[in-house]
Amino acid sequence: IGSRRRRAALEHASNIPFEQLPYQCFQEARRVLAEDRLDKVEKIEEQRKRISKLLEKIKTVETAQDPNGHTKLQGLKDSLFLSRKHLEWLKVQADINDPLVKRKFEDGFGDMSKPVYRHLADQKWRSYEHKIVMQRITQMNVIPDVLPTIDPIVQLNISFKGKRVQHGERLNTDKTEHAPTLRMQAFDQGERLVTIAVVDSDVPNVEEDDFDHRCHALFTNVRVSPTSGVVDLGEVAQESTVMPWYPPHAQKGSPWHRLSVWILQQPEDVTIDKNALSEKYTRNTFTMRRLVSQFPLKPIGVTMFRTSWDETTKDVMERNGIEGADIEFKKAPITPMRYKKKDGARYR
Amino acid sequence: MASNSISRWLSWPRTSPCLHVQQAPSPSRLLPSSQSFIQTASFSTTPSLQKRKNKNQATTDPRIKLIRYALYHPALPRPLRFSRNRSLRHWTIHRAWNLFRAKERAAQQQDLENLYNSMRDACEALRHLDEAGMSEAIGQGGKDQGRLFRIAMMKRGVWSGEKNSGSGVPIEYARAQTEYPSREGWNYAWRR
Repeated sequence: IGSRRRRAALEHASNIPFEQLPYQCFQEARRVLAEDRLDKVEKIEEQRKRISKLLEKIKTVETAQDPNGHTKLQGLKDSLFLSRKHLEWLKVQADINDPLVKRKFEDGFGDMSKPVYRHLADQKWRSYEHKIVMQRITQMNVIPDVLPTIDPIVQLNISFKGKRVQHGERLNTDKTEHAPTLRMQAFDQGERLVTIAVVDSDVPNVEEDDFDHRCHALFTNVRVSPTSGVVDLGEVAQESTVMPWYPPHAQKGSPWHRLSVWILQQPEDVTIDKNALSEKYTRNTFTMRRLVSQFPLKPIGVTMFRTSWDETTKDVMERNGIEGADIEFKKAPITPMRYKKKDGARYR
Repeated sequence: MASNSISRWLSWPRTSPCLHVQQAPSPSRLLPSSQSFIQTASFSTTPSLQKRKNKNQATTDPRIKLIRYALYHPALPRPLRFSRNRSLRHWTIHRAWNLFRAKERAAQQQDLENLYNSMRDACEALRHLDEAGMSEAIGQGGKDQGRLFRIAMMKRGVWSGEKNSGSGVPIEYARAQTEYPSREGWNYAWRR
């Protein structure tokens, strides 16, 4: 039934809001935190003034014709970057001690346009799911088969027909026949343009006794922000589609196919020409390494799932006009080496 | 207090807690109004079932209870389980207290830093003073420049004052006798 003090307060007015509950220590704590918040708000104002002064200085150095201006400019730009980072930190610290913010975030109502909720979401992601993604793509050798390394800064989840897919999950071919929905959660402010690529890295190549890569989807110039990150790959605009969704199909006898989904960030205000991409790559000549080296793209998010031959694959391949449903791969028989009989007399 | 906890720990099954509030101390400082109120009725009007008391109850010998408590009671207190609001309040208080302590520590460190800086600046000024008390550049003031500084930096009598003519080492510098580590370490020159 709660403490005596709370009951006494509720005698006079029901539904006291949480922050006004008459607990002495709690109210003292709130007073201390409110003072600290005022302090942080002042510091934010100061920092904003400092940043605007820095921007003016950068402008003057850029316009002046100084032979040593290049190094000075670089120093100022570094200083600007650090000042902005500190400003973001101050904004987070102003709100992070607020129990209402904590409650709102824990209940899932955090507004991702605010830095404190983005910070809490990033913290939560990094504490578990980020580690799981890195573990799965390392164990499945997506790193370094597809790309040498990645440091994910965007949370990426895919779902087929509303059903969420775990990282590395094995899916039936009929589930993956139609394009998935991507849910991207960015933790730094602002909009950005991204390129989305889905790669199958285990396409068997019989002549070379090796595996090829195949592109199952390629989209470019997709706008993503912390508040809008849900992209249905079947509904992407024509100008952004380079290669639409191609259903993954693992032929009989081939080992597990790893399908990795990559989010690549385009630099500030850089639009990639869709025709340049479609001229350079076809589905079967596409590799992520070539894409990343030939275009200014930085991988920021990744996930993966797996497929193999199951009872639905044949139908999916027929429906989509993919040949090769009747092929079965087999392991080449190994001729054993001639057994070299040892001279028995020496080992008696 | 101890006997209360023993009986609480050992009486089984537990009796329901008493809900009667005979005389609450006036919580007037909590409420906006200055009126105090005294609550005499129990909170609930529905009758609550209590355990049936046996007339000839088999009670354990209090000495046995005591022995069992002494031998088997857990050292850890029972875990607290907070409701949502209770845990949020706890978290807020914890954050505020840590913030307060961090501020205090930072203020203390700043204080020490200021002290050190002022001492260093004073010594530096003293180092420049010559016999006339004028500040000259080092090397310009003659052989007595910074004499007082050098006297101040002498460590004579730091430990024992002037009692034993400035000598003497604090007893804490003495080393307790231990087997390891040895004072000499490995004796490379040892021969049988």
